[in-house]
Amino acid sequence: MARRARPLLALRHLTLVVIAFVMLVPFYWVVKTAITNENIYEYPPSLLPKQPHLFNFVDVWYLIPFPRYLLNSIVVSAIAVIGNVVFNAMAGYALTRKFPGRRAVLALFLSCMLIPFQATIIPAYLVTARMGLLNTYFGLAFPMLSTIVCIFVFKAAFEAVPKSLIDAARIDGLGEWRIIARVLLPLSKPAIATNVILSFIWSWNNFLWPLLITRDPQMQTLPLGLARFLSYMEDTTGALYAFAVMVLIPSVFVFLMAQKEFVRGLTSGATKG
Amino acid sequence: MNHTAWLRSRWVVVPGAIAIATLLWNAYVSTHDHGIVAGRVVDAAGRPVSGATVMLFERGFVTHQERERKISDADGAFRFTDNRSHSIQLEADAPGLGRTDRRIVRLWFAAQDVQLPQPLRFGAAK
Repeated sequence: MARRARPLLALRHLTLVVIAFVMLVPFYWVVKTAITNENIYEYPPSLLPKQPHLFNFVDVWYLIPFPRYLLNSIVVSAIAVIGNVVFNAMAGYALTRKFPGRRAVLALFLSCMLIPFQATIIPAYLVTARMGLLNTYFGLAFPMLSTIVCIFVFKAAFEAVPKSLIDAARIDGLGEWRIIARVLLPLSKPAIATNVILSFIWSWNNFLWPLLITRDPQMQTLPLGLARFLSYMEDTTGALYAFAVMVLIPSVFVFLMAQKEFVRGLTSGATKG
Repeated sequence: MNHTAWLRSRWVVVPGAIAIATLLWNAYVSTHDHGIVAGRVVDAAGRPVSGATVMLFERGFVTHQERERKISDADGAFRFTDNRSHSIQLEADAPGLGRTDRRIVRLWFAAQDVQLPQPLRFGAAK
């Protein structure tokens, strides 16, 4: 049985290696172009970088206000991540409780997921403007402070926690807030990791909303900076791809840091003491 | 023991290592960013050329613009002291010798102090 399984396992691994290779080739090409001055349309293309160097990254750092864009993106993403973890945990916990109209709220949430953000962007803009948040960090993060998908991630994680634990906490005198903070969240690390990764990446890559609400170039985020850089540097593919790599690195970093919990899934971590 | 366990968490170790590396890099930059660009000018035979005009071009978005000129001394040496750019070009001009090729000098940070390893060299006299 084991002998028959071995070729199958090898075939499976080979297939996975091929798929991984196909998926990684574009990333390799971006990095390769970033460390050379090669034209990406060159034919035949060279597989290995010729005369690699890192000066394209230096160009990106100095030719546009990259540090400022980076700071803006970090601040906005941090606000979005904190907002997501806090508000989604609260909403997720509420949805695990029984209350009149719960099913209607769930149906409302699910139906709202079908509406694309582009359809609600004008009301969102008007609300943000009325609150005086245009051109501010909080305004940039505002629509990303809570996302329905992540609310359901917390709801699923909280529902997997044995009810007896919550009852025991309540008997010990813990209020609802402390039950979330002291009992549910420590048992829901995969859900927190999922929230952190998804909200960070969504906020980090967001282009349309920052484009709409920033008026001062000093408040622009990295995706806007990338568009601006592209308009200036059409002929310098190396620097452009270096910019893309520099935008990509923080997302990859956050994913690698949280991937253990992210990959572990939701329910497996939720019942661990 | 448990009180220090959080110090070994990857959420502390990795950002901490990045913060330390950033601090060290910035400390290095702050002690090497006086904008000094120094070098020598020699003729085709390798003899120093005095009185050559050395031009420093600073990178703009698409082109390089001339920013400063210096005259080489008796040893053919020149020294710019307030370069602000991260990417410069150098060219020397001397009566009777023509112009050198433009030397592209890429720096790791703006205003990095640099001593040219190879001198600016004139071709054969025209």
